[in-house]
Amino acid sequence: MKTIELEIRNPSGLHARPAALFVKTAAGFQSRVALQNVTRGTAPGNAKSILTVLANGVARGHIIRLSIDGEDEETAARALSEAVAAGLGEAIE
Amino acid sequence: MPQAGLKMKGIAAAPGVAVGPIWRYCPPQVETAAGAAGQTAPTDHATTGVDGAVPRLRSASEEAARQLAALAACIRGLGRAEEAEIFEAQALIATDAALIDEAVRHIEAGSGPVAAVQAAAEAAAAVLAALDDELIAARAADVRDVGARIARILTGDVLQLPAVPSIAVADDLPPSVTVEIPPGLLIGIALAGGSRTAHAAILARSLAIPAIVGVTGLLEAVHAGVERLGGRPLRAALDGETGELILDPRSSQEIQFHGRKDALATKHAEAIALRDRPCATADGERVRLVANIGAPEDAPRALDAGAEGVGLFRTEFLFMSRQTAPTEAEQVEAYRRVLAAFGPDRPVVVRLADIGGDKAIPYLGLPHEANPFLGVRAIRLAYTSRDLLLTQLKAIWQAGALAGVVPHVMAPMIATLGDVELFLSLRDEARDRVLADGLPCAERMVSGIMVEIPSAAIMAAEFARRVDFFSVGTNDLTQYTLAADRGNAILAPLQDALNPAVLRLIAGVVAGADRAGIPVAVCGELAGDPEGALVLVALGVDELSADAGCLDGVRAAISSVTRAELDELARVALSALEAKTVRALATELAGGGRRNRARQSSGRRSARVPGSAVASVKHGRADPSSAN
Repeated sequence: MKTIELEIRNPSGLHARPAALFVKTAAGFQSRVALQNVTRGTAPGNAKSILTVLANGVARGHIIRLSIDGEDEETAARALSEAVAAGLGEAIE
Repeated sequence: MPQAGLKMKGIAAAPGVAVGPIWRYCPPQVETAAGAAGQTAPTDHATTGVDGAVPRLRSASEEAARQLAALAACIRGLGRAEEAEIFEAQALIATDAALIDEAVRHIEAGSGPVAAVQAAAEAAAAVLAALDDELIAARAADVRDVGARIARILTGDVLQLPAVPSIAVADDLPPSVTVEIPPGLLIGIALAGGSRTAHAAILARSLAIPAIVGVTGLLEAVHAGVERLGGRPLRAALDGETGELILDPRSSQEIQFHGRKDALATKHAEAIALRDRPCATADGERVRLVANIGAPEDAPRALDAGAEGVGLFRTEFLFMSRQTAPTEAEQVEAYRRVLAAFGPDRPVVVRLADIGGDKAIPYLGLPHEANPFLGVRAIRLAYTSRDLLLTQLKAIWQAGALAGVVPHVMAPMIATLGDVELFLSLRDEARDRVLADGLPCAERMVSGIMVEIPSAAIMAAEFARRVDFFSVGTNDLTQYTLAADRGNAILAPLQDALNPAVLRLIAGVVAGADRAGIPVAVCGELAGDPEGALVLVALGVDELSADAGCLDGVRAAISSVTRAELDELARVALSALEAKTVRALATELAGGGRRNRARQSSGRRSARVPGSAVASVKHGRADPSSAN
């Protein structure tokens, strides 16, 4: 299992568009991906569910922890880190 | 509804006028747990136990996702990416594991699939609605709408779309329903619920469909009207600018609303035609018309509206809702994006952060203030947090160089000559530091101040010799001149920027600027109001800056008047004793005959009032942009 922590820099956090892109990225891998909002202290939930990601209430500056478990966990971790760093389809400063 | 022509009132949500038959949208009822267990909906009988229900649910959710993805693609194809995203997210929600798993649990507990999916959607919506994040909480309605769509697919119910161009009446109209109605068949929207910022209202404005929201008693009145008319279709007339709604309008009322509609259509066509031409009076006096923006994302809208630049780029968005100050690099990129979007021919005036006071900024560590509007805000932050403004100015010097333009900057809340000197020394220090760091740096910076404190207006002639331009903030200037808190509803009548005291101050600012040969802009709300704009141009203001949505109206008003008419307006503005006298003449000039055509008390207008000498009405000035 691989665990990574990422800071969300999107101006409005993981709202509709970035959340949708995040979920689509996570869903592209075999591995189980769990997400929790460290800043809010939420319990881990399915990162491939947009409802779960939205319900985590991730705002700008929040830290999320991803626990990735499966054969392609290395690739998934890299892809998700890159997607978040690139702004999930949004311009981030 | 006792008789024809019932007048109702709502909140104006999207401008425009519509007259036509009513089409009622009713969302499917959420089945109660008791109802689901006892008497399932007729179509639920088709299911035979859990084994049949789960696959039916899954295939219905997949069908819903397909429909929503198709809607998204269609809307995206129309160039409305922002609205398309709503449906793209909804498509993901339709097959979301959390939603489906919850629905399956309900089925296993004995619910029919329709009740199960509606209960699951309601539960998920409730979780989102309870979040303290406003943007995410607003998605609750989207989740409920997805549940309703899956339920419709399961029951085989088809959404009955209007067959003829109609005015939609509902408690709320989900965006997915709004866009499913073929273009042309939805001519207006009247909602019992909602607010100006609801999805339905935003989408209506984006699709240019007239809309009013928050019409109390609407559904009951429509129901009564339908009952009373029997088979005859119930009609309505609505005005999305005034919030008026008439149920079962009399023919005279229909004619009146059609008249308003035609007038708006003419006005709109004229406004579009004017966008490509520089803003000028009927006799050719140029007025620079620029936009107020609050973020880099606002640039395309301002350019579409024909803005000749930006008169107020608010930078607060960079400083709010965060735990630490924005970095220099972050700011450089944000400013560069905006400066580059407008290019060298459309100058952008960046306003230094107008923060502090009532807006709590945690990283500034400012003490609580009893009178935040009279406290440490804007340029006054330099008294305590000098580096904050220094970093911002360094970022602007670099952004100008990177975008290949001369950056324009203005400092808010200037009260004294000392504040002016402070701003200019910070500017120079920032440039020296950028150069010392070997970073790209613009050659020069056009530097102005905001005139929003009466002391600055009174001392304008002296301040004008030290800066390159003035920008009058009419909202704060009015608040400080009348000593009336902008946020206090009881004092709203005092917040009228056409108050003669405010107008005389502005005339004094223009006179002082003229002597020093610098231009005067106005970036308050008054500049975006067609009548206010005329008064400002009459007083000799060179540049008006307003929200992009206001530019058409202002441009049309200015193009319909001559300098001779404006001179008369200036004379009235500086001799009037009350705001309403000024407004009456401005309204008449702006062609707003709907309100008050009669000139008021001509005797008073001709009265001489000391102070009108400061008007110094300007004629045929050179293009102010060259001095800017």
